[in-house]
Amino acid sequence: MDAPPGPIRDTAVTVSGLRKSFRVKDKTVAAVTGIDLVVAEGEIFGLLGPNGAGKTTTLRILTTLLPADDGQATVAGADVRRAPRLVRRRIGYVGQLGGADPSATGRENLLLAGRLYGLSASAARQRATELLAVFDLAALADRAVRTYSGGQKRRLEVALGIMHQPRVLFLDEPTTGLDPQNRANLWDQLRRLRAGGATIVVTTHYLDEADQLCDRVAIVDQGKVIALGTPDELKDRYSGNAITLTPSVPATDLPALASDLAAELAARALADAAGPAGAPEPATVTDTTIRLAVTDTTRAMSAACGLLAARGIEVAGVSMARPTLDDVFLNETGKTLRDTGVAA
Amino acid sequence: MSGTSERSGAVAAGPARSEAARPGEARQGATARGDLGQAGGTPFAVQAGLFFRRKMLESLRQPAWIVMGLTTPLLYLALFTPLLNALAGGPGFPKGHVLDVFVPGILVLIAFGAGMGAGWTVIWELDTGVIERLRVTPASRLALLLGTVIRDIVMFLVPGVVVIAVGSVAGFHAHPAGLVVLLALLSLLTAACSATSSALGLALRQIGSLAAVVTGAQLPLTLLAGILLPLSLGPAWLRVLGHLNPMYYAVQAARDLAAGTIAAAAVGVGFLITGAAAALALWWGTRAYQRAMA
Repeated sequence: MDAPPGPIRDTAVTVSGLRKSFRVKDKTVAAVTGIDLVVAEGEIFGLLGPNGAGKTTTLRILTTLLPADDGQATVAGADVRRAPRLVRRRIGYVGQLGGADPSATGRENLLLAGRLYGLSASAARQRATELLAVFDLAALADRAVRTYSGGQKRRLEVALGIMHQPRVLFLDEPTTGLDPQNRANLWDQLRRLRAGGATIVVTTHYLDEADQLCDRVAIVDQGKVIALGTPDELKDRYSGNAITLTPSVPATDLPALASDLAAELAARALADAAGPAGAPEPATVTDTTIRLAVTDTTRAMSAACGLLAARGIEVAGVSMARPTLDDVFLNETGKTLRDTGVAA
Repeated sequence: MSGTSERSGAVAAGPARSEAARPGEARQGATARGDLGQAGGTPFAVQAGLFFRRKMLESLRQPAWIVMGLTTPLLYLALFTPLLNALAGGPGFPKGHVLDVFVPGILVLIAFGAGMGAGWTVIWELDTGVIERLRVTPASRLALLLGTVIRDIVMFLVPGVVVIAVGSVAGFHAHPAGLVVLLALLSLLTAACSATSSALGLALRQIGSLAAVVTGAQLPLTLLAGILLPLSLGPAWLRVLGHLNPMYYAVQAARDLAAGTIAAAAVGVGFLITGAAAALALWWGTRAYQRAMA
């Protein structure tokens, strides 16, 4: 992940102690239970978590759609509660529903958005034409949005969100329902926006999206930020690296072999005997495989294979897996994103 | 973004400036950039005009609604008038041509119908996220509401004028000055109904609930206003109930105005009550847009 440029960066979003609960029938449901965040200018920041984690509620508070029960939020230099109009002028928002007017054409949608943000009619026309070209919608510009495909509609909705060149763009699960090609296309657009100086805050429940798109990620669960950092930092801090071996020995011999290997690797400083806090066991055994938590996957792998060869044990399979954000989530919550009913 | 416009250029220059400046200065600079070209915002009237244009185009693209909006009142005229002819001249029925009594009633009905449809599109726009998106823009919520209200007034005026024209051929005695004031009064009524319907749509959020409330209110409101049949035909208790219905006063004023009497007490009362209802509904609708969705 390339870090945003510049040693001095302003904060685009500052959130502290944010809380929000809803009354559902007779019960009070806490959606956000104390979120603290700082998003720097010019970064793509991801809020990752399962459905119902509080991501969308947080986004709606930051975009002035919902009042918070408690806490402070400053967006693009303006207080969300005290100066909502100023915030609205400076941000763009692409909601889950999208919000393009289906009965109007793509161009009409863009022109209205531009005019509402104070662009003159001619400036709005010029900007709309420019965006229609950038988002590959020029051929559809004067057709009603209801005739657009899912991907086309989503591209228009992102264009609507940036019509006025907002300082901070919020997107709520922008790639849900998009095919891989359209997803990759949208990621490219968002990276280009960042290159133009915009800050982007995006919610997602896709691990690979957070991993590949975002400069920094906050993992959110049950209304709280449970982990925060770059995807690489999170993976290193919370999971460590691991290698997996499939030795050709009876399953009953695996545990002893696993602890031998772990001890050997620790002796060569390729694995921490105790492991960092929160890291998985130094060695874990499944039906046929041994998984070893290591510090350097490449060197540990060659050492482990050498040790096995010295004992005359054949190796049926190896893999060196970088941990995923799912491992981070598992470590923090004791459940996987998949367990929570979300396709990852 | 391809940097063809001046504003793209300004944004592209952003990070470089931040790096050079101290944090405090950078923030001020960034503030200026965010407001570039939009310091004053879009004037309220322009916003309302933009929203009106949007709603008007939406209506014009649904020809079925336009056709129904025109044919329904004409069907009333064609099918209901023969029934009323049998009553005319009887006890309790006002004097004059039967259409002189009936045309103002149809006009009120058109005004009511033109306004009460607003809530349906509001719910549809909630479901498609259009309202959510517009609520994140700096646009005025009253302007957003007025876009629909003004469109509905146009959708009342067009069939209204057609009914007056056709009715005149069939025997309605048109008084031009009175009719102009009448259309103004009923435009206020349309505004009251339209804003109420939008507010109901935003509050109820479900087509089914809105339909239940609107159709449930429609019968007592229209019947007790004496729209189709004058309340003077009914017993005393019915007339008392009618006086509790704000629309009753609009209908009374409408009959006077249609007869060419502008300087009547009923006209003043009609404007007062309908105007107050419209103001109240606009306030309610604006609040509903401010608070919409949780």
